[in-house]
Amino acid sequence: MICPYCTFSNIEGADYCDRCGQGLSDLHLPSPLTKVERSLLKDRVEVLDPKKPITVPPDMPVSQVLQLLVENGIGCVIVTDAGRTVGIFSERDALIKLNTACGDLADQPVSQFMTANPQVLNSGAKIVFAVRAMSQGSYRHVPVVDETNQLTGIVSARDILRYLTARMQ
Amino acid sequence: MAFELHLDTETVEHVRPAPALIVSPDAELLEVMSLMRRDRMGCVLVCRDGVLEGLFTERDALGLMAVTADWEVSISRVMTRNPVTVLVSDTVGAAIQKMSQGGYRRLPVVDNHRRAVGLLKVSTILDYLVQHFPAFVYNLPPNPHHAMQSREGA
Repeated sequence: MICPYCTFSNIEGADYCDRCGQGLSDLHLPSPLTKVERSLLKDRVEVLDPKKPITVPPDMPVSQVLQLLVENGIGCVIVTDAGRTVGIFSERDALIKLNTACGDLADQPVSQFMTANPQVLNSGAKIVFAVRAMSQGSYRHVPVVDETNQLTGIVSARDILRYLTARMQ
Repeated sequence: MAFELHLDTETVEHVRPAPALIVSPDAELLEVMSLMRRDRMGCVLVCRDGVLEGLFTERDALGLMAVTADWEVSISRVMTRNPVTVLVSDTVGAAIQKMSQGGYRRLPVVDNHRRAVGLLKVSTILDYLVQHFPAFVYNLPPNPHHAMQSREGA
């Protein structure tokens, strides 16, 4: 019986978790039936091996950012100011905010078009949290930070799909 | 409270594919771009008489924006022809695999006559997963070190 609080594996039928002391007897524990369900419950974001994001300064001209996205085949860049994450600029921002006016706006700084203060995830967060963050906010990318709030990576909806596919077989 | 994640048995129809933005192959790129912005859609299906001929996504749009392309061309010149599709009767699991292998974020959903029915998006799959997880999962401590060492009040 996996403790839902600390994921410690107790013997079947235990009343209390051996590691954290939480009561287990009164929990109507769902029984994860498949490998996919078990993994989603247990694994943490770091399992997705978050990619190193490309970062740009807030004053970079937006045309240059578009080039970066195309050349690197990526969907978004993180905007950082002195090491701090201040925003995210994605394909979606390009479509909605630049659209066919991109020629006239080419020299404007990316900070004008980015999505400021994006939601971030801790690398220790469970994968279900990443899934929920993306689903609720309709994001495809979520920056991952460590305990000191330093940017360490980025996870995308594609990473989640890849993860699911690997566990469905 | 049980899990109900039936990736092998539920079909694409169950996850409710989103309605797609459909344009004719003769539509002008400029007009398509403004439609995508108006409807906040990352993708349009290009169809003639309901039959899917091509796909144009925000990724395609990004490539054109980066080179400040000519916007006054017909969409059929810049679309992706014969895109990978899923059938309404395909299972959710199969659709996820197709998406993951090809690196697609969305797949046009078609019927047996290749008529466009809708669009299966990555976000629809994620929503499906979220809906099928019991709410208590999200009340778990976010960090393994949050585990309590003794029972509260004991």
